[in-house]
Amino acid sequence: ERSCLRAWAAHSRALVGRWTAARCGGEARQVRRQQRDDFRELLLSIRGLPAALSALPLELTVLYNSLLFTVGASDSAIKEEAEGIRQGLLRVLEACGSCGVDLGTEELWHKVLQEVTVEELQAPLHRLGALQAAWWLAASRLGSVAGLFQLLSAAEDPGRAHCSERQNKLLSMIKAWQVPPEGASLPLVQSTKDLKEILCTAVAFLQGLQELEAGNFPTAISLLQEAAGGFCSKKILAQIYTCLGCCAQRMGKPQTALQHLKRALQVDFQCLPALSHVAAVYHELGETDAEMQALTLLYEALGSNSPGAASSSPYFLMQTELLVHTPLLTSLLRHHHPSEVKYLLAQRCLQDGRVADAVEHYLDFLSLLQEGLQQQIPLDGNSVVPRIPEVFLEAASALEQAGRHQDAITVCEEVISRTTDLIPRVLRVEERLEQPECPLPGAGLAGGLLSQKESLCCLSWRAAGYLHQGWAWAKLGESKEAVTQFSRCLSDLLRVQLHGSGIKWTESLQAEVEVLQKIRLLSLIGRGMQFLELGRHKEALLDFQHSLQTSPGDPAAASYLVQTLWKLNRKQEAAAQWQKFSQGSPGEDGQQQGQGRPLPLYLVSCLEQAMFPHSEPLARSIQDYLGAATQDT
Amino acid sequence: MLLSEQDQFLSYNGEVLVFQLSKSQHVEEAGDKTMSLCVRRMAFNRDSKLFVQKSSGVFSVGANHSKIEIICCSCTTDSRTGIILPCILMKKKKQNNIKYFLLLLHSSNQFEPSFYFKLDYELKEDIRLFAGPSLLWRHANKLFYISSNTCVVQSAPVQLSSVVWTGEIVGEGAVVLGIRTACLPETEDPDGFSVSDRAIWGSEFFGYAIQTQKMLTGTCFMPHAYSRVVSSVYVCKSERLKKELRISLVAITHKNQLIWFQNGVPKGVCELPYEKPCSVKPALTSSNDLLFVVSFASGNSCVVQRRDSLQVASKWQKVKCVLVDDFISSGSEQLLLLFKDDSNTDVLSTFKITDLGEVNYASGINYTHDTPAAEGLQENGLLTVRALETRLQAGWTSVRELQQHLGLQKRVILESCRALIDLVEERTHVLPNSKEVKCRRMGQITSEFCQAICLVSLWDDVENPADSLSKETSLASKVPEHFTEELWQRVVGDSLVVGVKLTESFYLSLSDVSLSLVMDQDFSSISPIIKCQSKIIKLNKAFSALAVSSSQIEPPSKKIKLDLQSKDDLKKEFPKRSSRIQLDGAKTVTAVTSLSALLAFHRVCCVVLLHARKQNHQNDGLQQSKKITVLCGKILLSLEDISNGRYSVKMLRDNSYCTGSMEDILAVLAVSVRFSFQIVSCDFTLTPVSSWLLGEMECTPFKECQDNIFSHKAGNVHGTIFNWALKNPFEGVLTIFCRNLTVLFQCLHSLARVLPPSCSVKLLRSGSKGVLTEHLALALEKEMLTLKNSLFLKETKAENSLTWGNESGRKINNAPLASLLDTEEGVQQFRKKIQNEREESVRSMNQTMNGALYQKMTLKIAEAQLSSDMIVWRLA
Repeated sequence: ERSCLRAWAAHSRALVGRWTAARCGGEARQVRRQQRDDFRELLLSIRGLPAALSALPLELTVLYNSLLFTVGASDSAIKEEAEGIRQGLLRVLEACGSCGVDLGTEELWHKVLQEVTVEELQAPLHRLGALQAAWWLAASRLGSVAGLFQLLSAAEDPGRAHCSERQNKLLSMIKAWQVPPEGASLPLVQSTKDLKEILCTAVAFLQGLQELEAGNFPTAISLLQEAAGGFCSKKILAQIYTCLGCCAQRMGKPQTALQHLKRALQVDFQCLPALSHVAAVYHELGETDAEMQALTLLYEALGSNSPGAASSSPYFLMQTELLVHTPLLTSLLRHHHPSEVKYLLAQRCLQDGRVADAVEHYLDFLSLLQEGLQQQIPLDGNSVVPRIPEVFLEAASALEQAGRHQDAITVCEEVISRTTDLIPRVLRVEERLEQPECPLPGAGLAGGLLSQKESLCCLSWRAAGYLHQGWAWAKLGESKEAVTQFSRCLSDLLRVQLHGSGIKWTESLQAEVEVLQKIRLLSLIGRGMQFLELGRHKEALLDFQHSLQTSPGDPAAASYLVQTLWKLNRKQEAAAQWQKFSQGSPGEDGQQQGQGRPLPLYLVSCLEQAMFPHSEPLARSIQDYLGAATQDT
Repeated sequence: MLLSEQDQFLSYNGEVLVFQLSKSQHVEEAGDKTMSLCVRRMAFNRDSKLFVQKSSGVFSVGANHSKIEIICCSCTTDSRTGIILPCILMKKKKQNNIKYFLLLLHSSNQFEPSFYFKLDYELKEDIRLFAGPSLLWRHANKLFYISSNTCVVQSAPVQLSSVVWTGEIVGEGAVVLGIRTACLPETEDPDGFSVSDRAIWGSEFFGYAIQTQKMLTGTCFMPHAYSRVVSSVYVCKSERLKKELRISLVAITHKNQLIWFQNGVPKGVCELPYEKPCSVKPALTSSNDLLFVVSFASGNSCVVQRRDSLQVASKWQKVKCVLVDDFISSGSEQLLLLFKDDSNTDVLSTFKITDLGEVNYASGINYTHDTPAAEGLQENGLLTVRALETRLQAGWTSVRELQQHLGLQKRVILESCRALIDLVEERTHVLPNSKEVKCRRMGQITSEFCQAICLVSLWDDVENPADSLSKETSLASKVPEHFTEELWQRVVGDSLVVGVKLTESFYLSLSDVSLSLVMDQDFSSISPIIKCQSKIIKLNKAFSALAVSSSQIEPPSKKIKLDLQSKDDLKKEFPKRSSRIQLDGAKTVTAVTSLSALLAFHRVCCVVLLHARKQNHQNDGLQQSKKITVLCGKILLSLEDISNGRYSVKMLRDNSYCTGSMEDILAVLAVSVRFSFQIVSCDFTLTPVSSWLLGEMECTPFKECQDNIFSHKAGNVHGTIFNWALKNPFEGVLTIFCRNLTVLFQCLHSLARVLPPSCSVKLLRSGSKGVLTEHLALALEKEMLTLKNSLFLKETKAENSLTWGNESGRKINNAPLASLLDTEEGVQQFRKKIQNEREESVRSMNQTMNGALYQKMTLKIAEAQLSSDMIVWRLA
C-alpha cells in the first residue's frame, strides 16, 4: 500500500542526494533554484494534509532544507521574516491539539518549546531553532536570538544556562547548545553543526561591530578575535581582520592595526578595503612613502580586479556573509573607485611636495574624467574626491609648481570658462539667508538657480583660476599679462556684496567667505609685485595697502608695503610701518594661524609664492636707516 | 424577468438553461396558487455580444399549500436512449412527508418526469445526479441511491462520512468515491516511515461500484492520507491497463490546495487563492491547456492552469456560478462567469466569457481582442521581463569584461609603443613594476612530535652474545655516568613498551639512537635477542594554552615593506627555528616488542641496551662518528605483575583533561601507528576539525602535553591520540596515532563528513612538510659541503701549491684592475695575469689524484646525495 509518509521521505532523501552530488559542480546556482522549488513543492504537499505527529519530524526537516535553499538560492542577505518557520511551529501546535495563530513568533517559540514534549520532535525543532536564530541574526535581533537559545538550552539542561559569563552570555549560550544528532533517515542539506559554527562566528562578528560602533574598543577587539577564530570563509575572515584593524586604529594602536590589516590581505587579497585602511594608517603615522606604495598597489589591484573572485562558495547554503550586514560594516568595507584612489595619490603627492608625481597623477585623473568616468565617482558625500573644479585647480597648482606654467594656464582656463555662466553679476550674501541647501549640485543647476553657497563656490573657483593664471604669467615673465589676470580676479571678487557682520553666517558660508578673502589678498599681493616689476611703484603701493586692509597684519603684504615705500624713497614711512609690523606681527600671526581653517589645497602654492623673499636685506637696511636716524637726532 | 436566488443555471450544448420557479400568473385566485417551473434557453449572440433567449418551456408542478424547491440540476445520460439530457431534482414538501421527483428536459422544451420517491427526512448531504438518470445521497453516514430503472431507494452496505465524487469508471460503471473512518488491520507495525497513512490520519478512501455492488480499493484514486482533507474530486481519465485501474484526477482540499493525482500518486500541488473550495471542474480551451475551474463557498472562483506545474491563472470574486461549454461555437470550451449583481437586472446581464486566451467577452465592455490579459498572463509577462532583465545584465557583464580586456590590450600596446620609442631614441626602456603582489605567509610556529623510527638491526654475531655484550659494554666507559634519567616499562594491548629517558646533554651528543632488549637468562635453544621496534618520541611540554592576547600590547614600530622582499627576515627566522628543535623536552627512546612471546617464559629478565652514534662535534659531524652501545638497566617481567595491572596504561578523564603519566602517553604513542595529514582548505577556515575532535571524537587534551588529545569515544576509536597543528586558518597538519589501519579509516571517514569538500587532505609520509623542507635544506647543504671539502682535499694532496681559495681571493682584486687598463703598463700586467690563469687552468685539468682517495670521496658524495634524495622522496 502506498504511504504518503514513505513517499515524502523517499522524495526528500532523493532531493538531498541530488544536492550532495551536484553541490560541487559548476552550475550550482541553477541547481539551487531547482532544489528550492522542489523542496517548496514537497513542503506544500506535506502541508496539504493535516499535521500529524508521526509526519512532523519529516515535515520539519523538509522545512529546514527548504529554508536553507531559499537562502542559498537568493545569494543576497536574508531580509524578510521567515514565514515558513512560523507556519512550521503552527503545524506542530496543530498536531498537538493546540493553537497559536495570534501569537508573535517569539511567543510561539516559547509556547512550542514549553508545551511540546514529544521526544521525536525535539531534534527537528532544535534544528529549526538554529535557522530561526540565523534569521533573527540577519535582522540584528540579538535579544530574540538570546531568548531562543535560552529556551533551547533550558529544554535539555536547565542547570547549564546559568553558568555563562556576564560579558558574553549569548556566545557561550550558543556554544553550550547541544546540536541534535543527524539521523540517516532524515538527511540535511547543511548540517546543524555547521549552522551552529556559522552562528557563533556571526554573533561574535555582529557583537564586535556593535561594540565598535559604541566605542567599546577592547570589548570589540576580543569579540572580533573570537569571530576570527571561528568558522567562516576567506572573504569573511578578511573582513573581520579589516574590522580588527580599524578598531585598533581607533584605539590609537597603528602598528597593531597594520598587523591585522596585513593579515586580512594575506587571507584574501580581494579584500581591498583593507589596503585602503592600510594607506590611512600610514597617513596617520606620517609615513608617506609607505602610504604611497599602499595607494599605488590599491590602484593597480582595483584596475586588475577579477570579477570572478566575488562568487561565493557553492557548497554552503547558509553562510556568515548572509547574516552580518550592518551599515558600519558597509562603510568600513566601502570599495574605493580607481579614480578616487588616483585622486588620493595625486593629492597626497601634492601635499607632500612630490610635484612631478603629483602632476602625473593629476593628469591621469583628469584623463580618467575625460573618459567619462565621472559618473562612477560616488556622489554620496563619502567620496574623497572634492568638487571637480577644485581638482582642476589643484592640478593647475601642481603643474605650476612643476614649472609647466603654460599647462597650468590652460587648466585654469578650463575652470574659468566652465564657471562663467554660473556666476551672477552681483552676488549678495546676507546673513538671514539660511535657506536649506539643495543636496545635489545638479538639482540647483536644473532649476536655473544656484544656491548661494554654490554661487560663492563657483566664484571662488573662477577667481582662483585667474589667480593661478596671474602667478603663472608672472613666472613666465609676462608681467602685463599677469596684471591683467590678477585684475580680472579682483574684479570678479567685487561681485560679492557682503551684508551683515558675518557672525550669523552658516559655517559653510563663513568658510567660503574666508577663502574669497584669501584669494583677494593673494591676488592683490601678486598684482602689486608685478607692478613693482614694471616699475609702477605707486600702483603697487596702492595694491599692498589694499591687501593689508583685506588681511591686517599679513606679513607678506606688510613686507611688500615697506619695500615699496622704501623704493619710493619714503623711508621714514617705511621704517614706521616696519616697526609697527615687526612689533605686532608675531602674536597676531600665531593667532591667525590657529584661527584659520585649513586653506584649500589649491591655494597653498600661491601662498608660498606670495611670501616676501628679501625680508633679511630689507630688515637690515631699515635697521641701518633707523640706526642712522637715532644717531642723527 | 427578475432573477432570484432560487434560480438554477445549466449549460447544455453551448446554451445556457435557466430554471426558474414561478407562481403561475394565469390563475389569479388568492387561495389557489399554482407553481410552475420555467426553463429558458439562452444563446450567446456573437454580433450583439449578448445572451438572447431562443426558446422557453413551462412545467406546472402546481401544488396546493406545498412548498416546492429546486434541489439541483445536472446533465446526465438517459439510459433508455443514451442521450445526455438536462435533468432537474425537485422537492415538494407536504406536512411531514417530502416528495422528491426528477424531471428530464427534452430539446422540445418539454419536461418528462422520470421518477419520484418519498422520504421522511430532507435530503441535505452529498446529493449527486448521475447516469440513468440516477440519484444518490448520504444520510446518517449511510449511502442511498435510486435510479430510473428501479425507482426504488436502495442503500449501500457501507458506513461513510462523505462522498467526494460520483461518476463512471471504465469497466465498473457508476462508482462512488467516499471517505470513511479507517478500518485498520491489527498487524500494524508503527515504526519509522512504514506507518500507513490510515494509521496516521485515521480515515480512508473507498470506491463503491453501484451496479456490481462491489468495493474498489481507494488507493488507485489517492493515498488514504488525503481522505482527511479532500472535499471534492474530478476524475479526468480512467483506463484499464492489464486489469490495473489507472486514474487521473484532480482534487480540492480543505487546506485550500488543488492536487493533481496520477495513478494514486500526487503529481502536482497548487495553492488556491481563497478559503473553502467546494467544487472543481475541467475546461478544455482553444489553447489546448487543461484548465480547472474551482468555485469557493464564499462566491469566489479561480482557474488553475496545468502546464509545467499547476498555477492559478485567474481569479474572480462575487461569482454566482461558472459554466463551462462552447458558448461562442468556436469548437473549444470557454468559461461563462455569471456575477452576482445587486441591481438584479435581467438574466445573464452581467457575465464574462473567457478562455484565458483570445476569447474574451464581457457584459458592458467594448471588446477589443487585445484586452489586457488575465492576471496569470500578467504574471507571465512579469516573469518574461525578469528573464530579459537577467539576460541584459549578463550581456552587460560580458560587455564590461570585454571593455576590461580592451583596456588591458590598450595598455600593452601603449607600453610596447613606449618601448619602441625608447628603442628608436636609444634610451633604455624601464619596464613598469610587476603587478604581482607577494604575500609572505607568516611562519607560524608549529609544535609537534618529531619522531624517528628505526628498526634495530640485529647483530651479526648472534652466536656469541655474551662476548659481544662484554665487548660493547666496555665501550660504555666513555659515557657520562648519569645518562639515563629513567627506565620504565608499560603494557599496551599485546605489546610491551620499554622506555629510556635520556638526559638532555647526553641525548644531544648522539645520533641514530635505538634500543634493544636482550634476555638475561640462558635459554640455550633460543636466541636471547628480542626483536623489537625502537622509536624516539620528542614530546613538547610547552603549554599552548598560555596565549597572551596580542591586542593588549602595541608592538614596536616595525618597518613592514609591502613588497616584503627583505632578506633579513629570513635570516632572523632560521636560527630561531633550529634552536627551538633543540629546546624540546627531555628525550625518551622506546622499544616496542610483542608481549605474548615473552610471557611464554613466565618470568623474564631483560637487559636494555642503547645503541647510538656518538657525534664528533669538532669535525662538524662530517667525519665518521663512533658507534656506541650502553647498558641502560634491566627490566623484570612476570605474569603476576601483568595480571595485577602493574604496567598497564591508565588514562582517565578528568573534567576537560585527560590525565595519564608521561610514560603512559609515551607508551601509547610508541605502540601506535602514526599518520600525518596535511589539510588545506581553499575557502573556509578549518575550525570544523577542532570541533570534530572535541565533539564527535570526544577528545580531551593531556594535562602534560596539551597539544595532544586523547579520544574517549567508546568503541574501536577509543585510545586514539590526535595532534592538530594549525599553521594558519586555512592549513594545518593532523597527526593520528592509532592502533591499526581500521581505526585510521574510521577516523578519516568520520572526518571527511565534517570537512568542506573544497578541502584537500594529503598524507605526509613522515614529518610535516616544514620539518622535511628544513631537513632537505640541511641535507643539500651537507651535500655541497661534502663536495667542496673533497675538492679541498684534492687540492691539499696535489702537488700544485696554488689553491682554489687563493684564486677566489685574487678574483676580487680584479675589480679595480679595470682602472689599470688606462696605462700601457697596466695593460701589460693584465695580459700577464690572463696568461697565468690560462696556464693554471690547463694544469688543473690534467691533475692526478690518489685512487683510494677518489674512492672515498665518491662514496661520501654518493652518501650525501642519497640522503638528500631520500628526503626529496619523502617530501613528494
